[in-house]
Amino acid sequence: MIDRATPVLVQGMTGRAGRMHTRLMRAYGTNIVAGVSPRPEPVDGVPVFASCAEAVAATGATASVAFVGADALLGAIRDALGAGITLIVTPTEGMPVHDALAALAAVRAAGARWIGASTPGMAVPGEAKLGFLPEVALAPGPVGIMSKSGTLSYEVGYRLVQRGLGQSVWVGVGGDPVKGTRYADLLPFFAADARTRALVIIGEIGGSEEEELAAALGAARFAKPVFALVAGRSAREGVTMGHAGAMVHGSVGSWASKQTALEAAGARVFGAVADLVDAVVAAA
Amino acid sequence: MYLLEHDAKVLAALFDIPAPPGALFGEALPPGPWVVKGQVAAGGRGKAGAIRKAADVAELEGHARAIAAMSVRGQPVRAVRIEQNVGPTHEAYVALLLEPASGAVRVLMSGSGGVDVEHQAGLRAELAPLDALDDAVRRAGDGLPPALTGAGLRLARMFRACEALLIEINPLFIRADGSWLAGDMKLITDDNALYRQPALRALVERAGAAYPEVRLKLDHGFDYVVVDPEGDIGLLTTGAGLSMMLIDELRARGLKPYNFLDVRTGGMRGDPTRLIRVLEWIAAGPNIRVVLVNIFAGITHLGEFARLLLQARAAVPQLTVPFVVRLVGTAFEEAEQILGAAGIAVTTELEQAVAQL
Repeated sequence: MIDRATPVLVQGMTGRAGRMHTRLMRAYGTNIVAGVSPRPEPVDGVPVFASCAEAVAATGATASVAFVGADALLGAIRDALGAGITLIVTPTEGMPVHDALAALAAVRAAGARWIGASTPGMAVPGEAKLGFLPEVALAPGPVGIMSKSGTLSYEVGYRLVQRGLGQSVWVGVGGDPVKGTRYADLLPFFAADARTRALVIIGEIGGSEEEELAAALGAARFAKPVFALVAGRSAREGVTMGHAGAMVHGSVGSWASKQTALEAAGARVFGAVADLVDAVVAAA
Repeated sequence: MYLLEHDAKVLAALFDIPAPPGALFGEALPPGPWVVKGQVAAGGRGKAGAIRKAADVAELEGHARAIAAMSVRGQPVRAVRIEQNVGPTHEAYVALLLEPASGAVRVLMSGSGGVDVEHQAGLRAELAPLDALDDAVRRAGDGLPPALTGAGLRLARMFRACEALLIEINPLFIRADGSWLAGDMKLITDDNALYRQPALRALVERAGAAYPEVRLKLDHGFDYVVVDPEGDIGLLTTGAGLSMMLIDELRARGLKPYNFLDVRTGGMRGDPTRLIRVLEWIAAGPNIRVVLVNIFAGITHLGEFARLLLQARAAVPQLTVPFVVRLVGTAFEEAEQILGAAGIAVTTELEQAVAQL
């Protein structure tokens, strides 16, 4: 997916978040080759261009991380796709859903991969990270992680690392209902990835993404052990708690629905972090 | 945001989607006889007894007062809509529903309505991208009463214009002359698009008490929900998923969390205002006996956070309960020293913090 050689550009590099995360990603080892901003002045010696097309032409970047506002995100994704970027990570929270629909259509037409929005990003520990997964929770190892929630995945990753289990690839798919990459989309990757020996899914109530994953697990005869943590078991119907996607309507998206589907597909489902961590460690 | 039926119908009128004459209880009554409808953002109102018929004003007022005091699926009735009972009509079903997995909109139609319409054999379903919704509506309505296509096309326009996630009319009343009315209406819109939806924004500003979470997000830029007014543990937490999980875990241990919070420490920028606000809200809980602070921050400088926390605590003297603090992130030692000097012990392990509650 990515490694330490992958040339990465940062959209919105000259903003507050763009500058800070550029510095932190470079410190981790990510090969940041360019920035994009309407104010094209270099940041920490990295050249900044007015558009993705100019940045790609000058540097050969293939991946992008976008630190732009929610109202500018659709435009930033189109700019990246137009320049031939094949992997776009968008941490921005609050992207309007109808904008996400338009972005998804554009990403599919271009044959690119989009991770986000509303994601802390992704990492291949020891190689590179795109976004801001915290270093205290990152270590190379055998566990693949896919998560809707940033902080909850930090908690799980941190406790697994304390118990000696790091990650092969960690992807925050994000908490929005319409998004670039869903759990099920990554299943073929994790099935084929030799570094990954177990898969940890960090989910929450709302939507049908866990159920889609369950269907894909069955269809693909996924052979690696799957452990799922699902938050929101005690939430009320009709109330959004932080994530736009985390709202239950009737039985759709309920904790019980996700548990039933995932267990039928052979996954183990947990309602507490410590229980999941113990089970993953015991199986390793 | 899951709109109350009344608000959805008022909005729908702007898109030429008619409903039976209606008003909120307390306003001028529409012509009788009536249906008295509890307004709450949850399904199952009929089964819960929150929708009742009334033939005279005395009966109407009795029902309205009883329904106003009800809760449906744990949610209080926010208002009562009085609607003219338009009498026997044919009932049908039409809905537009965003399908996140396919990135498209599902058009659903049925020649007959009802509570379990989604499971009927005759349900028509068409999937289309946002810009081809009208054709999907026409395909779904082919061979059904023309009122369904007529209603569906107006719903499609409303779906795009309001940036909806779901619009459902169930039942759709169809009269003998082919004219139609929205009997009930469910509308869910995108909170993220509120900034460019002036009509919805005005609604939240006008009727904020009915949409407390949305109003709060609009006013303050973060998420806070009282999950149990009787709860005794205030939560000062960041991250939606971790906060939700923490509430689940506390409840599983028989503990009673008061609130959900995603305070977003990254957005505070040296200003304690947000923490002060949250501590004031927590202090308003009648049973609060402890505040659990849980910050797992990749980026937030914990030393700065600790200083802000102490400033906030000093600004809310009515909150006299102990603090249990768990922090992970940059500059932990500095935070530990700052909070320790104020008599607050800090741990890096959540399980240890929870054990102290």
